[in-house]
Amino acid sequence: MYDVTRRQLMHLGVGAAGAAMLSGLPVPARAEDQTLALYNGQHRPPVEALVAAFTAATGIAVVTRNGNSAQLASQLIEEGANSPADVFWSEESPSLVAIAEKGLLAPLHADTLQQIPAKYAARDGSWIGAGARSRVVVYNKSMIEESALPKTVLDFAGEAWADKVAFAPNSGAFQQQVVAVSLLKGRDVALAWLKGLRQYGRVYNSDSAAVEAVEGGDIAVALSNNYYWYALEQELGPDNMNSALYFMGHGDPGTLITVSGAGVLKTSKKAEAAQRFVAFMVSAEGQAAIVGAIAEYPLRPGVVSSFPLKPFDQLDPAPVTPADLGDAAEALALLREADLA
Amino acid sequence: MTSAASASDGSSRRGAAGSAPASRWLVALALIPTALIALPVIYVLMRSWGAGWQAIWSELARPRTLMLLGNTVTLCLSVTFFASLLGYAAAWFTERTDLKGKWLWRVLCCLPLAMPAFVASFAWKSLGPTFQGMPGAILILSMESFPLIFLPVAASLRSMDPGMEEVSRSLGKGPGRTFWKVTLPRTLPALGGGALLVAAHMLSEFGALALLRVQTFTTAIFQQYELQFDNASAAVLSALLMLLCLPVAFGEMWLRRGVRFSKVGRNTARRGSPARLGRAQPLVMLGFIAVAIVSLGVPFGRLGYWLVKGVSAGRGLDALGPALFGSLSLALPGTVVTTLIALPLVLLVLRSRGFFARFADRLPYVVHGLPGLVVALALVYLSIRLLPAIYQTRAVLFAAYAILFLPLAQSAIRASAELVPREIEEVARTLGRSPLQAFLSVTLPSLAPGLGAALALVALELMRELTATLILAPTGVVTLATEVWSHTNDSAYAAAAPFAALLVLISGIPVYIFTLRTLRPRSDHQAR
Repeated sequence: MYDVTRRQLMHLGVGAAGAAMLSGLPVPARAEDQTLALYNGQHRPPVEALVAAFTAATGIAVVTRNGNSAQLASQLIEEGANSPADVFWSEESPSLVAIAEKGLLAPLHADTLQQIPAKYAARDGSWIGAGARSRVVVYNKSMIEESALPKTVLDFAGEAWADKVAFAPNSGAFQQQVVAVSLLKGRDVALAWLKGLRQYGRVYNSDSAAVEAVEGGDIAVALSNNYYWYALEQELGPDNMNSALYFMGHGDPGTLITVSGAGVLKTSKKAEAAQRFVAFMVSAEGQAAIVGAIAEYPLRPGVVSSFPLKPFDQLDPAPVTPADLGDAAEALALLREADLA
Repeated sequence: MTSAASASDGSSRRGAAGSAPASRWLVALALIPTALIALPVIYVLMRSWGAGWQAIWSELARPRTLMLLGNTVTLCLSVTFFASLLGYAAAWFTERTDLKGKWLWRVLCCLPLAMPAFVASFAWKSLGPTFQGMPGAILILSMESFPLIFLPVAASLRSMDPGMEEVSRSLGKGPGRTFWKVTLPRTLPALGGGALLVAAHMLSEFGALALLRVQTFTTAIFQQYELQFDNASAAVLSALLMLLCLPVAFGEMWLRRGVRFSKVGRNTARRGSPARLGRAQPLVMLGFIAVAIVSLGVPFGRLGYWLVKGVSAGRGLDALGPALFGSLSLALPGTVVTTLIALPLVLLVLRSRGFFARFADRLPYVVHGLPGLVVALALVYLSIRLLPAIYQTRAVLFAAYAILFLPLAQSAIRASAELVPREIEEVARTLGRSPLQAFLSVTLPSLAPGLGAALALVALELMRELTATLILAPTGVVTLATEVWSHTNDSAYAAAAPFAALLVLISGIPVYIFTLRTLRPRSDHQAR
């Protein structure tokens, strides 16, 4: 109940802000006006939950601008010094890395950075992870046995898997997976893997489309992020699922930890409030709000997800950190060479 | 309009001399849309140029570019062809035969306009993988776009004097020859105008194709923007897409070559004796039913299914009010702006055959094929550098809307404008009216049906516009379309369903108005 009420309040706030702008006049900028402009590339449920909790805790209003992370990053780069954004919350770290490389992000407070393990934040402290997820394999239980699934994600790029594997080259997480393969196995292996996927796999527009295709029985297997499957499970009901998750483990790039995260824009005129927002994201209360709304792993020790996730310490993921994965440039180069982009 | 009025007022005394050149104020007014429309072209060319010849060439030489070109052209031509066939046949059956229940069929042929292609595609896709890929896309998009052919052709059949056909028949020509020699040529401008709109739509279509897994220039441009942050190859692809739009613009020109359809008085056409369908009657009805099922039944069925079935139902329902408000508050003023901007363009072309007139008239069609994303990013780039004060205000968004949808308004207004003989305005002038008075008292009322159609058609498009709205709308403003998009992105179909349903419902209003405007009741019911 409480949550619903808070959300309603939040929408009321958004609606009121919208209505204020509708008057055609600029919102009067009072000296103490602390309404934050959040550019949001992350899925909406966790953002709405966190914003509601943040506003309730601090009294600072937040207006969100929803979009695709990479497109918002492009927009931030175009906006440059004139950007009205205060905080950028990205679904994927490469978008944060890209704008950090353009010098658009301010350093986060040291206190904030200390709240989570250092390997889930930028080395220079310009952005911080707020939630982690794993690359997984989603398979249709009636089309394939779990025991028939390979030990490494690299095997999917062979003829034996022709027309059985769905993947989304546009997806930021897939690109991170490409970079992880390249880092761990070498660039040539990554390129050959992509060419194999192009030849034998099936391209989908997004991870969620690929997962839906598996659930619907269109295709046997999809490379995806774990939370898309949980979102679908919430939609259809746990007893109605035709698909399940498969974790490769043993350090294979098939199981890869990526993060969603945020940074404060250097050009923000409300830097202190923006820093508070990011600090709140990694606070116990903020983390609980986030992982209550999306099946991501909390990064702050001691917080527990409300989803039945495979325990984080049992994932045995590929030994690379989000910062190792960089911006999307190398992934794009590989995708272009493989004629997938 | 106020600027039009005052500008023309200033020149009225000069114009009293009696000659009617393409008045300077008209040229000046036509410069506004032309300058606006030139912005994305400049942006795309600038960005492509910035990539350097090497990059442009390597982009063009990729096998992938050839594949995209093949897919884009195949989709564009096939959908245009099938939609034309279907739309023309439907118009002919409902206007020229003794088909029973015409009223119902007409309504069913207009309703798909209210169904956004991405909603329809989602519905079809959820039925199974068969409908993904090129054949499925051609089927679904043809079914959703044929009303764009049906309406103008039906209107043109309706306003056409059946006497011509009767004369042909009485001269011993069979119904087939009469159709090819008399009916078809006279409806060709309507058919062509509609077909070009469909073609331009197909060049810029994104949402439906992404769902149906068809790769075209548009989806590739989106992919480029999703993959990288400094974008040259997306610009090169956009430039290629503009080249593809050139044939559409020239097709428009060719179609209207030397054609003027002035007639004095409205609704003077009599109804001729309808062709007898005889035993084909049930067969034709079956055809209409099949089209209705494919274009309406399945999408509505799926929406209903998700409304009832999904667990996310009810999530975010409190955003329904703000989203509806957002949709209306963006679409309605955007529609008025777009239509007002289109008006001087149409008038200029009707009154001047000069180079500028032709150029200004064609350019919107070239840009119409660009995805909303490219236009939006062009406006981000330019407004933030040149006019940072208006960035993320409605002004920029309305400019984007006008750039994207001018041709719709142009075509609709032109359809009326071409029926107004310029001589009438001249008569009014010789009777002592000033040019402004003559325009307001004679021309504008005659344009009313076209303006109404333009308003309805543009409102319809703006209601479902997605990408430009996402990028340019003031922060915090949401619309029905952006909410549908955002919930489906999170696999929350039941949460998306009420927004989609409301979107279709609201879109029904302009469709209704547009249909009434286009197929206005005949004044000669007694001829029945």
